[in-house]
Amino acid sequence: MIVFDRVSFSYGIQEVLRDLSFSIRFNQRVAILGGSGDGKTTLLKLIVGLLRPDSGRIVIDGKDITDKKEDELREIRTKFSIVFQEGALFDSLNVKENVAFGLREYTKMTEEEIDQKVRELLGEVGLEHAIELMPEELSGGMLRRVAIMRSLAAFDPKMFLYDEATTGLDPVNADIICKLILDLTRGGKGFIIVTHKVFDALRLAERFMFLKNGSIIFDGNKDQLMQSSVPEIQVFLKELKLPLATPSRQGEG
Amino acid sequence: MKRETIRIKEWISDLQDLYFLSFQGILGLVRRPFYSKDVIDQMDYSGAGSFFIILLIALFIGMALSLQLSAELSGMGFKMYIGRIVGVAIIREIGPVLAALVFAGRVGSGMASELGSMTLGHQVDTLRVFGVDPVRKLVTPRLLGCLIMVPALTITGDAVSILGGYYIAVFVSHQSSAVYWSSIQDVLNFENVVSGFVKPFIFAYLIACISCYMGLSTKGGAVGLRRATTRAVVASFIMIIVADFILTRILFYVLGFSL
Repeated sequence: MIVFDRVSFSYGIQEVLRDLSFSIRFNQRVAILGGSGDGKTTLLKLIVGLLRPDSGRIVIDGKDITDKKEDELREIRTKFSIVFQEGALFDSLNVKENVAFGLREYTKMTEEEIDQKVRELLGEVGLEHAIELMPEELSGGMLRRVAIMRSLAAFDPKMFLYDEATTGLDPVNADIICKLILDLTRGGKGFIIVTHKVFDALRLAERFMFLKNGSIIFDGNKDQLMQSSVPEIQVFLKELKLPLATPSRQGEG
Repeated sequence: MKRETIRIKEWISDLQDLYFLSFQGILGLVRRPFYSKDVIDQMDYSGAGSFFIILLIALFIGMALSLQLSAELSGMGFKMYIGRIVGVAIIREIGPVLAALVFAGRVGSGMASELGSMTLGHQVDTLRVFGVDPVRKLVTPRLLGCLIMVPALTITGDAVSILGGYYIAVFVSHQSSAVYWSSIQDVLNFENVVSGFVKPFIFAYLIACISCYMGLSTKGGAVGLRRATTRAVVASFIMIIVADFILTRILFYVLGFSL
């Protein structure tokens, strides 16, 4: 269980999160919606202890991580598999080395075993052919898939954290990523996805939270979200109601 | 008023963080894990990549210095001192400062922009998620690479500068080759060599720590990256010049140079 108890966070003079309180079970599928700069990524970083709150408490799996040191957070972080925006693959390493990174740091596997495991993981997402490619040679969708496999390689996480997993992807690649995200929840594992793409959020999640100016202005299920009268949510939901463009007549344009 | 107070607090916090980073970076040299492949990569990038630039600049600085001295000293009948002055100036002062400035401009800016890009792209966060200390993985190899390559490049640059000075002194100013080399031998004493050898280590330490700190504290997208890179170069340049004076004063005292 993730528990936020009156958590506030600022970058210098800019207050990003204000008195945030909520709890999320590890097996829940949660989408955190909100506009740019509303603190969605900051919230994910607070969960894994990459940032420290200015005030309030964060409790992960019964342990208060608010004042934990970097070494003590190591165990907490193994409970999560986090995929940052655009994958955050290491530029200087190829796909194989990226996926093998956690295995080399966390396990005592031999090079042969690592090679086998990497090929196996990449095979699951149809990327065996990309094993020797560098990150700059991959498309956005491939970057995300490699990043997801890298985050899975060394740990057996209790929950996945996705930062804008489908942002910037074409519908085909977004669909591949959404399917992969859902596949990974089959063992009863949950996820938190922060996104501003309401269509993908509705497809993936069962619980929706909406962040606005550092506060949660909505927390509910899909039906409640669809019927919400909160103006900001209405703006987001308009994305679903966009009329299809009228096809142009032959010979025009 | 509140905004100013916060800025001052941030500035003090930046200084604390820089001090902490430089300390942790040094500590990484004697603690496991040790990323030897990263050290070799850094030495290759910073050293081999800067080698020809520093040699070229050193050659022309040596020749220009020798030319200036020839013009000035010939009229006074002191042409025989060209080698001595070139040697002292290059070994004790110009060589270390020049190599450090070129290194800061080329390698320091590269380090700041690379680490800045890694910070903005969440690669540094990813390292932490994997339980890898970014200071040991990113800062220590760069620091060690600088500590090895800046002194090596300084010595090589000094030698090339002296050769450049020799070419002008002997073939343009028509000074005796034997006199030039004997003057150079005279200035290659313990005090001068120590004086010229200590500075590059300190400069390397400053360049690596400042550049890595600026890179790792990058905020605010492309503009932030540009700001971090500029700040890394400017701060390194200023610190090299200031440290050069302070070190010269300390070394004069320690090595017993009389004023």
